[in-house]
This record gives sequence, structure tokens and C-alpha cells, in this order.
Amino acid sequence: MSSIEDLRAAFASALAAARTPADLKGVRDEYLSRKQGHVTALLKAVGAAAPDERKALGAAANALRLEIETALDARETDLARSAPPPDAVDVTLPGRIAQTGRRHPLTQVRERVEDIFLAMGYQIIDGPELEDDWHNFEALNMPPEHPARDMQDTLYLAQPLPPLAGGRPATLLRTHTSGMQIRYMEANAPPVRIIAPGRVYRHDNFDATHTPMFTQVEGLVVDEGVSLGDLKGTLNAFAQQFFDADVKTRFRPSFFPYTEPSAELDVECQNCAGKGCALCKQSGWIEVLGCGMVHPAVFEAVGYDSEKYTGFAFGVGIERLALRLYGIDDIRMFYENDLRFLNQVAL
Amino acid sequence: MKAPVSWIREFAAVPFDPRQVGSRLAACGFEVASIEGDVVDVEVTANRPDCLSVYGLAREAATAFDVDLKPVPGADAAAVPIVSGGRGSAPVPVSLGDTGCGRYALAVADVRVASSPAWLADRLTAAGVRPINNVVDVTNYVMLEIGQPMHAFDVAKLGGPEIRVRRARAGESLVTLDNQSRPLDETMLVIADHDRAVALAGVMGGAATEVADETTRIAIESAWFLPASVRATSRKLGLKTEASARFERGADITAPVRALRRALVLLEQIGAGRPAGGIVDVYPRPADPRHVALRRARVTRLLGDAVPDRDVQRILTRLGFTPAAGADGWNVQVPLFRVDVQREADLIEEVGRHWGFDRIPPTFPPLRSRPRLVSRAVVRDRRLRAILCGAGWQEAATFTFMEEEAAAAFLPEGEAPVAIANPLSEKFAVLRPSLLPGLLDALVYNRRREAEDVRLFEIGATFRKSGESSHAGWVATGPRWGHWSGQGGAVDFFDAKGAAELVGQAFGVVLTAAPARDLPWFVPGRTATLTCASADGAVDVGTVGQIRRELVARRGLTQPDAVVGGELALAALERAAGSSSWRITPLPRHPSIVRDLSILVDERLPAAEVRGTIRANAPSTLVSVREFDRYHGAGVPAGQISLSVRLTFRDPDRTLTDGEVQQAVDAIVAALATGVGATLRSK
Repeated sequence: MSSIEDLRAAFASALAAARTPADLKGVRDEYLSRKQGHVTALLKAVGAAAPDERKALGAAANALRLEIETALDARETDLARSAPPPDAVDVTLPGRIAQTGRRHPLTQVRERVEDIFLAMGYQIIDGPELEDDWHNFEALNMPPEHPARDMQDTLYLAQPLPPLAGGRPATLLRTHTSGMQIRYMEANAPPVRIIAPGRVYRHDNFDATHTPMFTQVEGLVVDEGVSLGDLKGTLNAFAQQFFDADVKTRFRPSFFPYTEPSAELDVECQNCAGKGCALCKQSGWIEVLGCGMVHPAVFEAVGYDSEKYTGFAFGVGIERLALRLYGIDDIRMFYENDLRFLNQVAL
Repeated sequence: MKAPVSWIREFAAVPFDPRQVGSRLAACGFEVASIEGDVVDVEVTANRPDCLSVYGLAREAATAFDVDLKPVPGADAAAVPIVSGGRGSAPVPVSLGDTGCGRYALAVADVRVASSPAWLADRLTAAGVRPINNVVDVTNYVMLEIGQPMHAFDVAKLGGPEIRVRRARAGESLVTLDNQSRPLDETMLVIADHDRAVALAGVMGGAATEVADETTRIAIESAWFLPASVRATSRKLGLKTEASARFERGADITAPVRALRRALVLLEQIGAGRPAGGIVDVYPRPADPRHVALRRARVTRLLGDAVPDRDVQRILTRLGFTPAAGADGWNVQVPLFRVDVQREADLIEEVGRHWGFDRIPPTFPPLRSRPRLVSRAVVRDRRLRAILCGAGWQEAATFTFMEEEAAAAFLPEGEAPVAIANPLSEKFAVLRPSLLPGLLDALVYNRRREAEDVRLFEIGATFRKSGESSHAGWVATGPRWGHWSGQGGAVDFFDAKGAAELVGQAFGVVLTAAPARDLPWFVPGRTATLTCASADGAVDVGTVGQIRRELVARRGLTQPDAVVGGELALAALERAAGSSSWRITPLPRHPSIVRDLSILVDERLPAAEVRGTIRANAPSTLVSVREFDRYHGAGVPAGQISLSVRLTFRDPDRTLTDGEVQQAVDAIVAALATGVGATLRSK
């Protein structure tokens, strides 16, 4: 009788292993084939058994045969039901995607900054990259020989070029996008609520933390009664939307010739939660942008009444934000255009 | 500026902990670069030369911690009298021959040159200044302490001995303390003796009159020079020093005599020497302190927070201002060391800094007028980026400047790129005349780093002699389509042209291509100029083509694959698109009838001519003509091609009949036969 149990167990595992109709046919042949089937052989052996065992053995062997046949038929139906139709495709092969490119990471970060201010009612303006001295310096309270010009070492054109927007010939590569704001104020009366994004240029080294060319988004708000408190509220809101809602900020007094008072906005270093690390030079803070209340001399240069109007201005460095956002430490990567790098940013 | 806290504490009882001092200084505008041991290294902004001194920082710290500030050291040391600078009375007479020097004070001392005592040398070292000898160290110590640069001459080496402050003479030169021979010109202010220049005023002393071991009598200069004059000289010679940094930002014109007294006291204290005679002080037009009105209401308005009167007064007084209270605010006398404070906003900043920006409640400016539309160029560029990315082009960001050779290759013969007067290096010498050279370099970079198919675009400014303009540019190379179901072949001219057509569609205009000449960067026969119709006739909007192999090779890539590219001028496209309408026409109510024609024509015949002939000879019911196959090979005679076009006919008001369409097609076939020599290949 033990050989019957062995056979049943062997069949059960053979059946379980059969995945295709061909597998199943093999199992059927192995057990039920008229010539070599294990069950056929068993039935034949019944005749040779001792007379007193013959009846029981015969019944057990027949039961096994029935059981195996039923199981095979059931599996056959199953397999037939789940078999792929003849025109089935291999769904595991890759799909056909129209090839797409990605916006450059600096574009993505810039647009993210722009969108935060767009939602606060700011107008985006654009303007020339080649500027004249008036729009880049003089109107911004930096007369010739002003020591603050050293802060923005300038690249000059060998020959002046005709200006894009009319007016004075262009003599230099803009060191900030503030010139656009001067142009805007020259052409429009307050209130003003604008951002001016674009490339700017400095006579600076090209290394892991400096490039002679970088991207800025500057902003300007002018109206009656605009205060440093308004600047704080606005730029806090920006930092919270760009980083996260709980980010800690601080405003630190600073100096720019075109704002008075001037400040820098720091956010708490997220790398060390403000405890101090190599990234934040142990200070616990990361500098995000420069800002301040528009210097009255700037209003006077564009013909605004500096008694009636006040305003704030700010300038965000996009590369610096992008380094932070993507967790990289070499600014040159943004200008190498290595596809292995560019393919890692959001589609 | 490196300031040991122990030194600051000589003037103000601030905490011992340098971290505490540093964080308060940072909060009032002096960013901390580092703290090492007792030394706080703070960044002093360009407007605050008064804080390029321990005493200046002590004043800020005293205000921040609200503690008293001790008087400037040496101020009350009246032991050394002031004497006239004229001949006879002064051991070294001084004459001032130029307005570039507003004040010149000089003291003479008999000295024994040796090394400084350890405490003094250590302080200098901590502040980042190398000790030299007791005499020079004392002048440096006083400069670090109160911000007044000084210079000691060896009297024995001074011709006369006398001091003349004058402009340098043409052809004059001076060997400075760093042993460099400096050619001088008439714009530079010098300190001279009887015979020659002995120092660059406010910048650096001369080697010939340097204090050395054998020196026994020194003349210590303590002067005030016009910031613009020092700045110009320093820039012209490319020479920045501790002295020039202070003078060009604006030194304290009240400090020179005080500084000399402090130096003389120190010399005696360390046993280095004793004064010989009085202090000469040539100060022709003593400066008057400025007065600036500060209105209480204006403080509140600009800061957005009402600072109590007593705090305004406390802060200003601690910082050295003298506020006289009036009805609306204060009339504030500005100390002469605060060269940066010129008007009311400057005073409000002083109040705000020490009141604390962090205490000011955050608010929002009300939106009192309708928001204005975003710049058209910004909207345009955003759309173009989205469209090109969606079409499989990767956005790149390349440098605006490049080496001259790379730029020149993409300019018509005879035109030079726009040059930068003071480039960082040869690699950044000129402005890009086109987006293509930068994109080509980026393509080469990627191709050399295992990337097979590279498709890059950029939107940005380009620069020619005629000025600046905005362009979209693109380049591509390699296989077109990589999927297991089949390859799409290699990128060619038509991929580049397709990108142009796509951009045209984005503007709602149709681009017309014509074979281009005079574009030396493209392969002849595989380049086109693109025009589009506008109110003023056809305007040039760009070019497209296959970039010459030798040019690609010169940028570092030799490969069999074609590199193609193109560029469109966005302002020109925008002008042309000005009249294009985005109005939607009602959908056709009647079915269209389609006829395919395959014709044999000469292989050099432009498809545009076939299209033109068809349109010219078709009824108005022909709504579209589209090429869908071009074939040469078996079954087509040599020198000819088979061109298949699909013609779609439709009438808005009725259903066309087969008969009338066939009539139209027959007329077209006949016209093609006579017009361009076409024969019908099949029905």
C-alpha cells in the first residue's frame, strides 16, 4: 500500500510543477500511459498480488487512477483558460515612449522661484544682458569710483554696442538684473511689484563655488507705506514655499549701495538642523538672498518721490538655491550639460 | 577683520565667550567668517571702514550688549605738544602740495629697533599681521586698534630731511616695501622727501626709507587721504594693502593725531623709543560733522515697527552719534568716522540694526493695483521650452562667453565676434554670436562620455556687432529612435528642420526653407535659410543645416554620424507671428476626398516646386498637399525620383463628387507634366 501513497505524493508534486500544456501531457503520459504509466503498471500488479490483498489493492489503485485523471483534467481546463491567445503580445517588453527632454535644472529652479512670486501678484519682466553704466551702476547709487563697484567686478565690452531697448550704448555685461528694474521704474509710475530674472556676469573665478556667469531673480516692490516688515513677511513666505513651511529664517543686517537698510536672509541649515556643520561653515545658517529697503537715491534717479514712496528689493541666486535643492556641491555641473546629470532632474 | 575678544574687552565689558560676541556682531551686520580660540573673524562690509579696527567693533559690541565704551586710547595723552609744520620748529618739516591729502600729521621719535615684546607680537599674529620689528609693529598695532594706517620712515634716509605731499612726476618711479619697482604717473599722490618720492600715499611705503635694524630716528606718518585718490592709485598699480583698504573706503579724519599719541605712548611703554619734539599736524580745512534730521514717523514707516524714543536715543548715542531731540524726532550729529551715514535712511538703518531686524513683525504689502501681465518674452520662452522638451530635445545651459576661435567659426566671413575688454581668460574672450558653438561643444562633451544620441537645445541671448537678440538653437547627432521593435535610423538634416518647423508651429507661422549659401559652418547642399511670411513680406528668421565635419572634428569629435543643428531668431518670429490668429474655424460639415499621386521627376527638383505647381493649378477645394514618400532605386530611372503626394479636397458647403475631383487631379497631372516635367508613375 505504501507504493500507492508514494505515487500519490509524487504525482502531486509533478502536477504542481506542470506550467504548460506540454508539461501536463508529460505528467499524464508518465502516470497514465498504456505502456509505461506508473498507474497502469500498478493496476497490472494487482493481478500478481496475494489473493487476500487483491481486492483492497485493486480498489485503492482504481481510486488513485480516478483521482489522477480528475486532477489532470481540472488542470488542463485551468491551463486552457489561462493560456495566452495566439496573438498575445509580451507585455513585459518596454513600451514605446516618445523621446522627451527635460528642462535644465536652473530653468526649473528659476521657474519655481518665479511662480512663487507670480502667485503673490508679481509681474515678470525681462531686459538686456548688455547694459550701460547708468542702468547697471549710477542709477543704483553707485557713481563712478564708488568703492561698492569692487563688490561687483565687472566684465566690459571692448567696443560699445547698440542697446537692445534704445537709449545709451551698452558697455558692460550686467552684474545684476537691477538695470531692468531701473528701466521699469523709468517707464512706469508706482505701484511696482515686479521680478526680474536673468543671467548676470561677474569678473569672477570659475571653480566649484564661483562662476563668471550665474542666474538671478531680483524683485522690487514700490508703493506708499511699504516697510521692512513687508519685506520680511514676503521673503519669509518665499522661503517657506521654496524650502518647507517650517523652515526657520533670520534677517541679518548687511550692505548694498542701492538699499538702506540692507539685509541678508538666512535659512536654518537643513543639513544639521542648525547645529553647525561643514556645509553651513558651523554657523547653523545658510545665506539665501540679499535684500533691503530701496535707497532713496535710487528713487531720485528714476524720478520717483522718495518721500511719498518706499519699497523693498531683493535678489536671489538661482545656482545657490539649486545646489541646496539637489544636494550637490560643485556649481560647474550646471554648465557642463552632462546628460547623465541632466537626466536626473524632474521631467 | 580678526579681533581677539580680549582686545575688544579693553574698551567694552562684553562677555568673554567669543561665540556670544560673534553672534551679536552677526545680528547687527558683521557676518562671522570664523571663530578660532579668542579671535572672532568678522566680515566688514564696504561701507564700514570704521569697523576695520578693534575699537570700531568694540563700539558695535558695546551697543549690542548695551555697555559703556571706554575713550579712544591715547586721546588724552596730551603730553606731546602740537608744533607748527614749518621749517625751524619741526624736526622734519611737512608741506602739503595737493588736495588729495586732507590732513598730514607727523611725529619724530628716537628709537632702538628690536623685536616686539611677546604680548604685542602675539596680538598682531592673532589679528593676522606678521610682526616685523618694534617700530613697525607699533604702527600696525595702532592701525588694528583704532583703524588709522601709519607709516614709519627712517629719518636718516629722508632727503632734507623733509616731507612733501605731491603728485608723482612723469617718469618717476618708486621701489615699494615689497621690493617692486613701480612706475608712477601724474595722477598718483606720493609722499616725497627733498629729492624724490619715498612712499605711495595711503598705499605703501618705499624700500629706500624703510626702518631697519640700524635706524635710530623715525618719522611716523599719520595722515588722511582722499578715498578716490587712494583707490585710483591702488587699482592702477594692482596693489591692495591694509592701508589702502582703509583709506579708499574713508578713514576718520579726526584720528591722525590721536593715533600718533597712541603710538608714542606704546613706543615708550615697550621701551622702543621716546618722542623727539612735538607732533606736526597740517590740517588746512578742518572737517565739520554732518547733521541729519531723523523723523520718528519715518522710522516707523520704513521699519514697519515703532521703536521707542529712548531706544532710538540709546542706540544712536552708543554708536557715537549725538541726537538732539525735537518735536518730530531728532537732529543727529554724525561722527566724522561714520563716512557712510549721509541721510535719514542711513540713520534708520542704524536704529533698525541694533533694535533687531528679527523683532520687526512680518507683514505683507497690500496689492493696491491690478497685477500686470508677465513679459511676453518670458511666456514665450516657457512655452518653447515645454514644446521642445516634449519633442525630445534636452535643454542645455551653455556659457555666454567662449573662446574666439569657437565663436568665429559660426560667423559669416569677415565678421568678428563681440569681444570682452577684460576677459577672465582666453576661454571666455568673446560673446557667443550664436547658440550653436556652445551647443556643439556640449554635444561633443556628451558624445565623448558614452552618450550615443544627443539632442540639445537652448534659448538665450546671442551677440553680434548689431547688438543683442534672443534665439532658440538646437543640435543633434546619433540614432533617432532606440526601441526593441526597430531602429529609426540616424539623425539627419530633417530632424533639425523638424525642430524649426515645430517652433514655427508654436508661433503659428509657416516657415519656408530655401537652400542656403554663405553659412560656412554648414555643409553646402545640406543647409537652408528659413523665412516666414509677415505683413512686410518674407522675413529671415533662421537657419538650419548639417554642421561641417571638420568643424565638429576641430571641437574634438571625429565620428561618422552627422551633427545637425539650427537656430531661430525669436523677435523676428514674434514680429511675423503678430498677425497670426488663433481663432478656431468651424469644423467641416462635408466629407473630404483624398487622392494619392506618385510622379517621377528629376531628382534635383525641389519638392517646393511640385507643391507650388499643384497649388497653382488646383481649384479652391484642394485643402492640403502633403508629401508622404520619396523613393529612388529599382523601377525608377536613373536621375529621377518617385515622389508621392497626398491631395485632400473638400468644399465647406457641399459634398464633392468623384467626377469633379478626378477632373481637378487630371488638370494637376497635366500641369505637373508641362510645368516640372513630371510623369505619372501609377494611378
